[in-house]
This record gives sequence, structure tokens and C-alpha cells, in this order.
Amino acid sequence: MPQLAVIPWIGLSRFVVLGGVAWGGMSAVFAQNSGAVTHPTEKLIQGFCLDCHDDGIRKGKFSLEGLDARNPATNPAIWEKVLRKLDHRQMPPIADERPDAETYKRVVAELERSLDLAATAAPNPGRTDTFRRLNRTEYQNAVRDLLALEIDATTLLPNDEPSHGFDNVTVGNLSPTLLDRYVSAAQKIARLAIGTPRKVPGGDTFRVRADLTQEDRIAGLPPGTRGGTLIPYVFPQDGDYEIQIRLQRDRNEQVEGLRKPHEVEVLIDRERVGLFMVKPTGSDKNAEGVDAHLKFRVPVKAGARDVGVTFIKNPSALIETERLPFLARFNMHRHPRTAPALFQVTITGPFDAKGPGESESRRAIFGDAKPLVETATVAEQDARAREILTPLIRRAYRRPVTEDDLRKPLQFFREARDENGFEAGIEGALTAILVSPRFLIRVEEDPVGLAAGSVYRVSDLELASRMAFFIWSSLPDDELIAAAVRGDLRQPKLLEAQVRRMLADGRSGSLVTNFASQWLYLRKLEAATPDLRLFPDFDDNLRQALRQETELFFESILREDRSVTDLLSADYTFLNERLAKHYGIPHIYGPRFRRVSFAGEPDRPRGGLLRHGSILTVTSYATRTSPTIRGHWVLENIVGEPPPPPPPDIPTLEDNTVSSFLPMRARLAAHRANPVCASCHDVIDPVGFSLENFDAVGRWRSAEGGQPVDASGGLADGSTFVGVAALERALLQRPEHFAGALTEKLLIYALGRGVEPFDAPAIRQIVRRASAEDFRFSALILGIVTSTPFQMRKTP
Amino acid sequence: MIITKKALPRRTFLRGMGASLALPLLDAMIPAATAASATAALPVKRLGYIFMPMGCDIGRWTPGGTDGKLGELSPILKSLESVKSHVTAITNLELRTAYPGSHATSNAAFLSAAKAKHTESSDYYLGTTADQIAAQQIGHATQLPSLELSMDMLQTTGQCDNGYACVYQNNLSWSSPTTPLPSEAHPRIVFERLFGEGGSLAERRAALRKRASLLDWITEDIASLRRNLGPADRAKVAEYLDTVREVERRIQKAEADVAKNNLPADLDRPLGVPASYADHARLMFDLQVLAMQGDITRITTFQLARETSNRTYVAETGVADPHHPLSHHGNDPEKVARMAKINAFHVSLFAYFLERLKATPEGNGTLLDHSLLLYGSGIGNPNVHDHTNLPVLVAGGAAGGMKGGRHIRYKEPTPLANLHLSLLDKVGVKLDRFGDSSGKMDEIFQPLSV
Repeated sequence: MPQLAVIPWIGLSRFVVLGGVAWGGMSAVFAQNSGAVTHPTEKLIQGFCLDCHDDGIRKGKFSLEGLDARNPATNPAIWEKVLRKLDHRQMPPIADERPDAETYKRVVAELERSLDLAATAAPNPGRTDTFRRLNRTEYQNAVRDLLALEIDATTLLPNDEPSHGFDNVTVGNLSPTLLDRYVSAAQKIARLAIGTPRKVPGGDTFRVRADLTQEDRIAGLPPGTRGGTLIPYVFPQDGDYEIQIRLQRDRNEQVEGLRKPHEVEVLIDRERVGLFMVKPTGSDKNAEGVDAHLKFRVPVKAGARDVGVTFIKNPSALIETERLPFLARFNMHRHPRTAPALFQVTITGPFDAKGPGESESRRAIFGDAKPLVETATVAEQDARAREILTPLIRRAYRRPVTEDDLRKPLQFFREARDENGFEAGIEGALTAILVSPRFLIRVEEDPVGLAAGSVYRVSDLELASRMAFFIWSSLPDDELIAAAVRGDLRQPKLLEAQVRRMLADGRSGSLVTNFASQWLYLRKLEAATPDLRLFPDFDDNLRQALRQETELFFESILREDRSVTDLLSADYTFLNERLAKHYGIPHIYGPRFRRVSFAGEPDRPRGGLLRHGSILTVTSYATRTSPTIRGHWVLENIVGEPPPPPPPDIPTLEDNTVSSFLPMRARLAAHRANPVCASCHDVIDPVGFSLENFDAVGRWRSAEGGQPVDASGGLADGSTFVGVAALERALLQRPEHFAGALTEKLLIYALGRGVEPFDAPAIRQIVRRASAEDFRFSALILGIVTSTPFQMRKTP
Repeated sequence: MIITKKALPRRTFLRGMGASLALPLLDAMIPAATAASATAALPVKRLGYIFMPMGCDIGRWTPGGTDGKLGELSPILKSLESVKSHVTAITNLELRTAYPGSHATSNAAFLSAAKAKHTESSDYYLGTTADQIAAQQIGHATQLPSLELSMDMLQTTGQCDNGYACVYQNNLSWSSPTTPLPSEAHPRIVFERLFGEGGSLAERRAALRKRASLLDWITEDIASLRRNLGPADRAKVAEYLDTVREVERRIQKAEADVAKNNLPADLDRPLGVPASYADHARLMFDLQVLAMQGDITRITTFQLARETSNRTYVAETGVADPHHPLSHHGNDPEKVARMAKINAFHVSLFAYFLERLKATPEGNGTLLDHSLLLYGSGIGNPNVHDHTNLPVLVAGGAAGGMKGGRHIRYKEPTPLANLHLSLLDKVGVKLDRFGDSSGKMDEIFQPLSV
């Protein structure tokens, strides 16, 4: 089907860099080669590779013997691998004889040229799964966009298991438990969205993390307050709600830090609705009653509100101490709370419900039209239901609505309506939509009549869904569906306009909270618990601040459309007081984050990702840094050339075998004395060594265990250097490698499948074009949206 | 053979025979046309573990009886009078693995009989606990493999006891040596895990019917996906349909259960946490009864309070001292007497639980008949953190051959693990060893003698 193989991005005016024509001449040169070993690739393979990679030795179970080096396109899987190893100068090994720089360059260019040429002539987009279930994050966002309802899907659905580093890859499965949870979730959401009355009041309990220090103001709560939490909560109906508060206890059941009276304040949407006094226990030490009275009812209007529970800050909270006070205060033995802290908030209701009120979700469902009069006939009700459901189904199913789509929801509507009235009917229909596989499962169907192995363009609506789930982790909006229906997405200019509109939209924040948080391992922070004795200052406040720094930083690259190389080389970052104190940066006060520039400071300790405490913490052990984990992290995520997984039955580094007083470097050196370990660790560890100036929670250090830190390291290409700044420079020597690594991660995330060798030409294409635009973030996103694997699909 | 609908309860039958015999289950004891599972012949199938913190005054605990029979109930055990025939006291059990003596290891070793790795970091290591071994082997038959409950609404962090990580002190149940299972103390959250929204019988039925009709729709809708698919994708659709059918099967089972099981007609969801400890604890026991009654789970653990708890029980006992300092009484007789009041109060909650189980019919017997419950502490004498001569009770019913009303005294200190091994054995989990066990304790299951 040649007409299907047309590359969709050819028409993009700013992107005319590569095409069949530009390479035609060289192709002819290529064809002339024959006879003696004159072809540069052939020469290099024979001269430098076959000693180890022939059929006899097959080092690394990899042989190049007998392969046609002149026509790499005949075996792209092998030659892409060769190309990568050569391009990253990883082969031949550093210790062996290597080709000169010019030969490397020439062969890499030659291999790229012929592999890309073949891919252009016969694109292979690979095959995404036909059925892909919405994962938990996508489900939550879809409900938000469909019903204007913020839910916490983590309480409704189980975790998605990640593969290839992302949790949207293995989403074809549907276990009974999962289906059961989807059904329950749909019922809960539909009821909440409509504001249906319940027979008994409902309730939710929110707990604050036990290691949250509550000595200072928490972001989002008013100045003059201390500690507590802010809970976004959807009140299902107008009515009275009971709010009950419990304070944090120590292990002796005493309220921690309660040495004098404190005031507890409750706010809804920043308005005070309750103020209570808590007092220390008397001589009986009976702490049961201390917070028993923190329970009251308050009338609340339906809809999404912010419930704040906090303490009025006592002006005399200053601690006088000879020592530097701990920043973390949550531990009764080492650094106890000096003031009481919040443990949990329970919201129960509605009591004495006054009706569904005017919630955002009701407006999204019923629109602004006048409600049906009670005397409406059945026919009038049916017509109205149709009017309400059609746009919802269009958004939920991500395509124009057919009569068949309406049939079943309308049936659910009628059944529930006959029993409990019009709104119950809408709730019934909504539940049916939310459990429908047409909503829950993204389906990409092969066109009828294509032979096996055919390549075709995905339909316009499928493309719209791909774009929305990539850039927004959510449903396409009405405008995108309309654009798809009009055929706009086939026109490069209009497609680009849609991508830019989507990037400018707030929903693209999911590229930060969903993509970047997985790419950079930020999700691991939640479980990071550095050893309390060694790092007594680590609390949840710091954990959240570390995460926020990286998210805000990545977001600045996205929103300002900066070069992605700034992710490594930026001279600014985002700090609040807690994090600035952790980093030892003065003059930053309060819980609010702000941009802090280090421009013109050659020795700046902060800036790009490799200097972020978040990443440095999740790549450390609880007690010490791990140059191996850090090195691996850099190779996997920044260089894009991860070492192979360790062979089975390899023991981990026993701290006991080498004196634990030695610096980490010396201990790892003992370990690399083993040649089996050394083959990989010689590549991995030196990368991590160059980050040794950062301790296991990301603080700067110049000495470790009384000895000066040795931050000398190196990369697999043989370069050696000292410290993080030099590592950044070395990594950006070839910015296309970093851009390629990031593109690969973005592509996995965008397609929901692992990247294969046949995707390499598309990735090179994206990177080459982005390079012409200084690797702007939008250039990578646009490159992916217009790439072969994103636009096309292959039949099985 | 005369077929009759009237089945003979096994105990009545034996009493009638007036013999001291272990009889095989006779056909006649199973009613003709009903399922075996609904009769008194139902074997024991539940295990419950109730943990009492910080030992007790063993002098006021140890009941009378030297000839194997449970004699006069001691001051602490007095409240068990009404269920005495279902209770066996076991004297002179020990937890060697809890040494060197501490509060953290008392809690940690109680169900694991394992030595806790001495660490405060996340490299903690204990052992799979008895309840979780049971849950992993027989828990799949029910909706929840096990249920972990406690009374303390918070989890401590940071440093806990004598350099042991807090997880040892907080968690009774461990599903692997490195996986402590958090427990839940909030009655509403427990209820929702067990019953979802709850409601009246009719409402629960209606809710199930609603789910069933939604699943019908999903089935129909998935089938509509099978339009133009290759073999691999068609297999996927078939897999989806199997999934839906499995969920439908579960709903049908639940619907059948609504009719069959003897849960009360109205399941009202508790909203908050009762203000008094006693009310809260009884509510937690009620939830366990409901969970067993509805056969939602067969394995429960319940921590009445954490080790080192400084709770006071003024309203319940009149004692104003916090429990932990009181337990280090320095042998001051007045303090010991006050502590014993707290011990007696905790036991009275267990008595309440047993009475509830005994009052709830199941098959031709009661829930208690088909349960085995272990009540005890990981500390003997709290004054010195001693883990010998532990206060331990076993309660249960005749269906498991459990012979109540006995007092078994061991001459030599005997591992608590032996008891764990025997209890596991009774629910069909066959192990040769558990923790530091040195054998089984089948004495408590000796045949009934009249």
C-alpha cells in the first residue's frame, strides 16, 4: 500500500532537512562499492570487532561474522546495536585498541545514512496494542475533564504495574478485581457528580503523614498559622457536615508537643468555620479527652472546597538552643515536636441534606439550561436525557456519537428514572457510560482488508486520542475531536497548531507530574526514608519540597519552551525555605517556592537535574550514596545507553568485606577487582563518582568520613573529569545523545510500548530536526506527534 | 436407610451415647439433602488472634485447677464465667525469641515466634506470622484473606523501643519477613473493606442486582468489540469476557450469600470512632463477628493496644494511672492490684467477643464452634520485660475437637510456637516447624470425655 507509506511530516516547512533527494547521491556511491574491503564499515568491523564478536568467541553472545556491512538495512536489529555502541564510543572497550575519531564519525554517519534511508523507503511504525485500558492517572484525569469532578483515583483503583519505566505500557490486562473496582468507582463517581442523596451520611478520613513537621506554616494555609493540612474535598450535597479532628500522639498516647494551650482553626475555602482551644492534660495524664471536643457540624454548599485544619501560630515559638536546631520535628526521642500536630481529619455528612446544590460537576452534566419541571412528560424527559448524554458520550468515547451508543445508556436512564426520578436516571446512564469498555479501553483497530505486515496511518480520531493521552494523559477535548472529524490533523500546519494549543493548555502539566515523575524516578521519593540517625533532618516537608523543586524546574522548561539541554545545564532552580536550608542557601523564607538564579556563579552548587536533591536521594541507599545506582541512573536516563542487567547470582556489595571506614570509592574499587563485575562497573561507577559531592540526601559535602571527597569520574567514551559541572559538560558535548535519550523515553510514554531497534531512525529524525531548533521542548513533542510510529501502525 | 431432614448435632449425639469416644463422622449426622458445609459437622475454619499488651499480674491471672480441669476463675479471668466451658488456659508458655526482653520484641515475636533483627532502619527483618501463613494457604476461599485490626489510631515513627524499628511494635501481622501489614483501627474503614456501603437486606440485594445489570452491559459491549480483529486480539477479547464472567460469578455468589448467610438484616455503617475505648473495642469485636458471619474472612488479628501504650482506663476500671508506667510496678502491691484491674478489663472484652460468637448460630452450631481463638500477651511479668510464663488462653468450639474448660500446666517452659503449630494444623495448614517450636500441643484437642 504505497499511498499509506507517505511520510506525514514532509510538508512541514520548518522541517525540510532530510528526504530521499538529499541522500540520493550518496546512495549511488554506496552502490559502486564492491570487491576488496574498502567500505569503511566493513574495514572497521574486520579491524576492530571480529576479534571478539565472531562466531567462535561470540563475546556478549553477539557475532558480526558474515553480516553484510554494506547493506545494514538487511539486518537493522543488529546494525542499530552496532551503531549505538560506536556512536557512544562504548566499543571497542576503552582498554583496547580503538579506531581514530574520524573513522568513528565516518562509520556512524554511513550506518545512520543507510539505515535511515531504508526506513524512509519502507517505514516500520511497529504495532501498539489494540486494547489499552485507561490507567489510574488517565482515569482520574478523564473523570476531571468529563465531569468537572476531582477525584482521588488512588482510593478507587489499584496501582498500575510499570514496564519499560512507565505505567501506561502493560495496560491490556483486566483482572476480575480490577473490573470490580472499575464498577465500584463508576457508581461512586456518578453519584458524587450528580449529588444523589444517600440513605446514611458518608464519610472520609484524611491522615497526615507522621513524619510531617508541623512547626511552621504549610503552603496553602494562611499566614499566621502553623502546621496542619489543606484537604481538597468534594461535598456531595448542600447540608451539614461533621468535621472531627484528632491530634498526633506519641507512643505513650500523649498528645505530642502540647505543653501549653494552643488554638486549632478550621477553614473552608479560607473562611474560618471553627476555632478551638486544646489544653495540656492535668496530673492524671489522661490524653483521651484533649481533642475529644474537636468535633462540630457546619453547613456547607455542595461542590469542591478546600478544607484547612491548622493551628494559630504562637508568637513565642522561637527555640533557644546552643546547637543548630533540627529542621525536622516529629520524633519524640531525638527531636520532639514543640507544639501539637494534626493527625487526622474526618469529614462526615451530609446531615439534614438540603439538596444537590450548584456543584461544578452538575453544571458540567446538566449545562446551564433550566431544570426540567416536575410535570415534564416521559417523552420530554427522554428528549432531555438524550440532550444531556450525547455530549458526555462524545467526550467519554472520544468520537462522534452513534444511535447505538445512546441505546444502552438511555435504557439505564429509563430504568432508574422509573424507580427514582429523572436525576437518578441520569446517574444510572452515567454509571453505564463509565463502565463501558468504549470509555475504559482505548481501541485501535486495523482497517478492513489489509494484508499481514501492512503499514497504515491510524485514523484521525485514533490520532486525536493518541495526542490527548500523550500530552494531557486524558481524553481529547471537544475541539480536538472536532479537528479530527474535520480532517485537520492530516494537515501539518493545523496539526502543529493543535499540538501547540495543547502544550499551552494547563492539562499538559501531566507531562511533568506523570511523564517526568516517572522518567526521573520522582515517584520513588514517597517511599524514600533515609536513615533517621544519619539524616535526622529528613521529614515529609523536605520530601515534598524535593519533589516540587524538580517538578517546577521541569515545568519551567516546558512552559518557557527552553532547550531540553537546560535540564542539565540550567543556572537556576526553584526553592522554598525548607529546601534552601537543606541546601545551605541563605535568605529564602516561607513555604512558597520561587525561582532562584545562580547566573554568573561558576561554583554554583545547584541548577540542573543532576544537582537536584530529589534525584540524588532516590539514587542513594538509606545510609549512604550509591555511585553505582547514580551511575546507572545517568546512563539509563540521560545518556540513553544503559548497561546490561547484572547476571544472576551476583552478590551485592557486602559492606563487611571491606572496612566501612573507607570512602565509598575505595570499597567499590575492591569490588571492581573482580573482572566479571568490572566489565560493567568500570563503566557505571565512574559516572556516579563524579556526583560524590552530594550526600545521600542531596546536600553538598566536601569531605566524607574526615577525608576530602574525591569526585573524579569518567564516561564510557574514555573521557575523565572531576565533579558534577564537568560531568554536565561531558554529557552535553554531544547534546543529541541526551536529546535522543529523552526522546526515547517520551516515545515509550507516548506509544505505550517499548522502543525497538526499528524505531531508531524515527528517533534520529526527531532529534535531528529538534537540533535545528536548539532542542526546544516543543520541537521534541512535535517531532514525536509527527513521527512514523506515532502516526502509523502495522498489522500483525 | 431412613432419610430424614433432621440432623443430629455431633455433641448431642455423643452425650447421648454417654461414652468417651472419638467417633468418625457418621453419615447420619449429616442431614440428607443439605450441603455438608451448613451443618454442625463443619470443621473449624477460622483463626482469631487477640493480643493483650504488656503482660499481666500472673498471680491474679492463673486460674485454679491442677487436674487438667479449669478450676475457679482468677480475678482477672472472672468475666469468662459464662463461656468457661469453651476456654482453655495454658500455663508456662514462653517466647525465647523475644529476648533480650523488650516491648518491641514482645509484639513482634507473639505471632512470628521469630527474632526481630535489631535495627531502626528500613532493613527490618522478622518472620512470616502464623496468621499470614494461614491466610496464604486458606485465605483465598474468602473475599479478604485476612483482617488486621488494632485500637491505636496512629502509627508511630522515628525511634521506638530500645533501638527497634517502630514496625515491630506497631504490626502484629507480617506477610513475609520484610512485609509488616498495617492494621486498621477506624471502624468505618474496616466496615467498608468488609461490606462496601452496607444497608438493609433489600438494599444490599438491589445493589448486587445493579452491579449484575452493569456487568451484562459490559459483556454485551465487549462482544461488540469483536468486529475486525486478528486472532491475538480476539483472544484478548475472550480473556476480557472471562474476566467479566468471573466477576458475575462472584456477584452471584454474593447474592446467594445474602440469602444464605445469617448476617443481620441491616448493616449500618459506623460513621465515627466511639469516644470511649470500651465502646470502640466492642465495635471492633462486633465487626470481626460480622466478618466471620458473612464469611468475608477467616483469619483475624486484633491488637487491644500497642506495647508501651500509656492509655488510661479511668472510665472502665477506675484506675487513673497510664498502663505502661503502671506495668513497671516495682512490685508495689497497690500498683500491681491496679494493673490487674486493667488486665481484667481487657479480658472482659475478650469475654464479650466469645459471648457474641457463641450467640451467633452457624449451621447447627455457633460461630464459636467453628473458630479457634488465641488470646494472650508476649510478656509474662511486665515489670522486668520477661517473656516467660505468658498469660495465654485458647477458646473455641467442639467442632474442631477443642476441649474447653481445661487448664493445661506445663512443667517445663514450652514454646508458644508449639501452640501456633497446633492451631494452624487444625485449619488444615500442615507445618513441621514454626519459629522455635519443639513439637505440637495437641493435648488441647484431645477427645471429649464426659
